[in-house]
Amino acid sequence: MDKILRIDVGAEGAPRATVVPVGEYAGLGGRALTSAIVSKEVPPLCHPLGAENKLVIAPGLLSGTASAMSGRISVGGKSPLTGGIKEANSGGQPSQVLARLGYSAIVLEGKPNSSDLYKIFINKDGVKISVDNSLKMLPNYDLIAKMKAEYGDKVSCISIGPVGEMKMASATVAFTDMEQRPTRHAGRGGLGAVMGSKNIKVIVLDDTGMPMRPPKDPEKFKDANKRFVDGLKNHPVTGQGLPAYGTNVLTNILNEVGGYPTYNFKQGRFDGASKISGETQAETEKTRGANPTHGCHRGCVIQCSGTYNDKDGHFLTKQPEYETVWAHGGNCGISDLDKIAMMDFLDDTYGIDTIEMGATIAVAMEAGLAKFGDADAAIQMIHEVGKGTHLGRILGSGAAVTGKAFGIERVPVVKGQAMPAYDPRAVQGIGVTYATSPMGADHTAGYAVTANVLKVGGDVNALKPEGQIELSRNLQIATAAIDSTGMCLFIAFAVLDQPDTFQALLDMLNAFYGLNLTGDGVTELGKKVLSMERDFNARAGFTPQHDRLPDYFKTERFAPHNVTFGVKDEDLDKVFNW
Amino acid sequence: MRSDRSDSRETIFRFEEAVDKPLVPRFFPLLQHGVLIRCRIGRSVAAFLREDIGATAETIDMIQSIILDGKPVDDPGAAFIRDGSTLALSAAMPGLVGATLRRGGTYSSFRSAITYHETGQASLQGEGYVRIKLFNLLMAELGPVVLRKGVFLSGRDVVSFMTGQSPDFWEGCRQITLDGAPVDAAGLRNAPWLSEKDRVFLVVTGG
Repeated sequence: MDKILRIDVGAEGAPRATVVPVGEYAGLGGRALTSAIVSKEVPPLCHPLGAENKLVIAPGLLSGTASAMSGRISVGGKSPLTGGIKEANSGGQPSQVLARLGYSAIVLEGKPNSSDLYKIFINKDGVKISVDNSLKMLPNYDLIAKMKAEYGDKVSCISIGPVGEMKMASATVAFTDMEQRPTRHAGRGGLGAVMGSKNIKVIVLDDTGMPMRPPKDPEKFKDANKRFVDGLKNHPVTGQGLPAYGTNVLTNILNEVGGYPTYNFKQGRFDGASKISGETQAETEKTRGANPTHGCHRGCVIQCSGTYNDKDGHFLTKQPEYETVWAHGGNCGISDLDKIAMMDFLDDTYGIDTIEMGATIAVAMEAGLAKFGDADAAIQMIHEVGKGTHLGRILGSGAAVTGKAFGIERVPVVKGQAMPAYDPRAVQGIGVTYATSPMGADHTAGYAVTANVLKVGGDVNALKPEGQIELSRNLQIATAAIDSTGMCLFIAFAVLDQPDTFQALLDMLNAFYGLNLTGDGVTELGKKVLSMERDFNARAGFTPQHDRLPDYFKTERFAPHNVTFGVKDEDLDKVFNW
Repeated sequence: MRSDRSDSRETIFRFEEAVDKPLVPRFFPLLQHGVLIRCRIGRSVAAFLREDIGATAETIDMIQSIILDGKPVDDPGAAFIRDGSTLALSAAMPGLVGATLRRGGTYSSFRSAITYHETGQASLQGEGYVRIKLFNLLMAELGPVVLRKGVFLSGRDVVSFMTGQSPDFWEGCRQITLDGAPVDAAGLRNAPWLSEKDRVFLVVTGG
């Protein structure tokens, strides 16, 4: 991983690929690399769909190695949804394959000279870019079937669906899983539209003949990886809860504590929650011959994903994640798991962010376009987006635009990006992260629960009022660092409770690269990433006033606890004081 | 459902699991939705778990989130069970919010607005009913114990549950008794004997 593949889509004649040394970006991976390139090379005031924006795709530092859980891949650029810097990451196979091919990143840059649509094929022999207008407006599943027929069943793909081609702000970049299905997505922030603006439909990766990346110290690496895997397997979340039920295991408990946003964030409980819970979902999958315990990439030992079959036992979609089930389920008043699974499939094949789509449908329902609970109407709205009708263009632009178009005040967004499945009035600490993350409302921005291991900024007294600010800061720093390793964020649970597992992760990085990285080094990496991102946003025109929740979260009481968001603005402004 | 209900008929319904057909897990959706347990009131959640539910120390360790009347509990020894309380139990949850909802966890301040604070005295005495909900891994861990002791359900919930079962569910029943008398599974599927207002005491025993 010592080279970057740059593709100038505006080169004379046709897109031109250039392989350059990694240079000043050496030692960076995943989010650290995407944010470094975007921060340095993209003018913050540029149009996200214009020539000056870049789409950066970067595997993590340990991707392509024998390390467990190292299959995340980051996608970065200026977001068409938020107008700020964006890093969205995904599981799937491409991270491992791209890393084994030796690339630290692929950078798509420039502006196409024609309306031709391109596919890119990369293998050990090089890069081939070719026009293929037969791919125009193909949904992801059809596209990948075509690539499989053309390139075989060993390749992995990075692609956009028709929504990316139409450059809508909710468009995703899709990544194929172990079964060559386009089920994994860098979903947030509309980066699929940036790929669409470069007229690149699909990148096909073939690592045939490429060995696994070798560590500098194989014995130490092997030992650390074993300790790391043992730590994951021994932890109750990563070793038991997630494999059994997936992330949707959260539905019941969020609903029970009244923190489950329902009917477009009107209330915190949904009567139909047990019908769409992870427990019910896993049981449904098992009775239909599907598998609730499955990895999204090779080398995954947590296995939190799964497959979901229809009533006849045929594959319908991957196991929908908690946020997807919430967005299309409780938030829209829908308690039919099969309909929610269908929406998950449609989102994947059209290439739409499930969180943004679900939040948008709920806003549309509040506007009267359909009744809450009408699953068929919700499915129809996704088709409208996928087909690019006039209504679909509005809905596909996200919750904020839809709220404006239909005159709705209750639009749960920060920096234009829809909030995920945890109401910030019930769980106020996560509201601090929603408000202040450079990414817009993002539940994964402060996900890496790690304060008591890293002790970023010293010991935090969580019971003091300022504790939430300090904790959110630490969480965001740790998350930025983990996102840069290419490790699945779910390793954070084991890292939180088991310092030995955190040490094993450090030992793996050190043995692979011949480093002496410590916990402090991880903290510095996280701070560096966040500083770059916030600097970009400041230059793009973001001010402290953008680090706020919508006003109604401070005034509308949220049932059943009748609470409002109470963290003061001046405290939110302290989050990044380090 | 309160202990002072006198307008409904109470029916005792027992299922015995056939040896080769696991039946008990089929009742887990009821536990997720919530069932009533008759118990002594006025005692702490910790005492309730130990003495009324029969949870071992190991199982109590496994219970990472305790939600009493919709509020996360940090100290199960200082939160008291009342007649009509709802108690939900969960094993370790993923995500930041999962960590936030852990009892006494580092991130408990994140949900301080909804944390359970005991305000009253534990002066209540006698028996009452507690609605208990078991989530995720605790369904398999505590479910068989709770179902063997017996739980109370509304007639409506039982009718809904019975009518939703497939033929293999009934094949998994070695014996079914209704108020002490053996009954035929075929006659029970639509629960014609039950009114929605009735109260059912359900006992399920493993093979």
